Amino acid sequence: MNDSDGSKAAMSPEEQKVYQAKQKHRAAIMAGLLFFLVVLFYFITFVKINSSVS
Amino acid sequence: MTTASTSSYKLASAQDLFALTKPRVMTLVIFTAICGMLAAPGTIHPVIGFTAILAISLGAGASAALNQWYEHDIDAVMKRTASRPLPAGRMERETALHFGVGLSVFSVLLMGVAVNWLSAAILAFSIFFYAVVYTIWLKRSTPQNIVIGGAAGAFPPVIGWAAVTGDVTAMPVLLFAIIFFWTPPHFWALALFVNSDYSKAGIPMMPVVAGRQSTRRQAFAYSLILAISAIAPFTFGMTGSVYGIVAIVLSIAFVLLSLRVGLSKTEDPAAMSAEKHLFSFSIIYLFVLFGALVADRMVFA
Repeated sequence: MNDSDGSKAAMSPEEQKVYQAKQKHRAAIMAGLLFFLVVLFYFITFVKINSSVS
Repeated sequence: MTTASTSSYKLASAQDLFALTKPRVMTLVIFTAICGMLAAPGTIHPVIGFTAILAISLGAGASAALNQWYEHDIDAVMKRTASRPLPAGRMERETALHFGVGLSVFSVLLMGVAVNWLSAAILAFSIFFYAVVYTIWLKRSTPQNIVIGGAAGAFPPVIGWAAVTGDVTAMPVLLFAIIFFWTPPHFWALALFVNSDYSKAGIPMMPVVAGRQSTRRQAFAYSLILAISAIAPFTFGMTGSVYGIVAIVLSIAFVLLSLRVGLSKTEDPAAMSAEKHLFSFSIIYLFVLFGALVADRMVFA
């Protein structure tokens, strides 16, 4: 923990729960987005290679 | 062990990050970009076309995030915008800035790598134009803010066109002109009946600075230029009769509604039915006009 963190008040257990739920939700969405981008880039690469071959 | 701070407690939710992109405004951006793409001569692979629309949407979302980052003080005093994530205190300003810059860079790179670098360059310029020229420079300094800033919203069909053809000809420039000249009567009609909100925020909107009568006259003048721009593609033989008939009928209706606004003298926002009608019709006008352009291309292709 750094100095700037130390100067701020700690969260209550309820606030921490809300914070962690928010973090979990964001992480799940980020995982979904990354998976979507992997699939998208796969198809983009496929289309680009195909068009350059033909 | 780490202890979360009160600052960290402001961790933006996914919903608030999404709200930062102004999804409702984005629908018009996506629609006009798709129309620009479908109206362009030539074909584009569906995967690349989808990627182009995605990049345009992300770019529009990035502009909106940067706009809200800069305008958090204005948004806080306006009833319409006070519940946005930043003025409502649900998000740190830095989060909006990082989100906006990150999304801008990603959208431009995605467009450049997957589609072509001309459309990526136009997308980059449109983000810069909206975030810097409109939001930071013009909005707070001149009552012409809407006129010049409206150019940012006029880029999507040009980008869509450039994504397909790799160039920019007279037709996408006319599509740009249609949205550019549509913006003043559309926004001024809104600003006329929500005048008090803009005054409170200290934004030099035309009705606040030049008065309602001058704004009404200018909205009418712009509607005439809009009508000429909308009918021009048909006049110059760039489109068929499907678009031509729709453009003529819609533009006559738009000019008549603007004339009603121009002749109106009312100062009571509640009684401004002409302004409210023009505002509602202007949204339908743009959707139907661009829809007709695509239908025309399908019929005469």
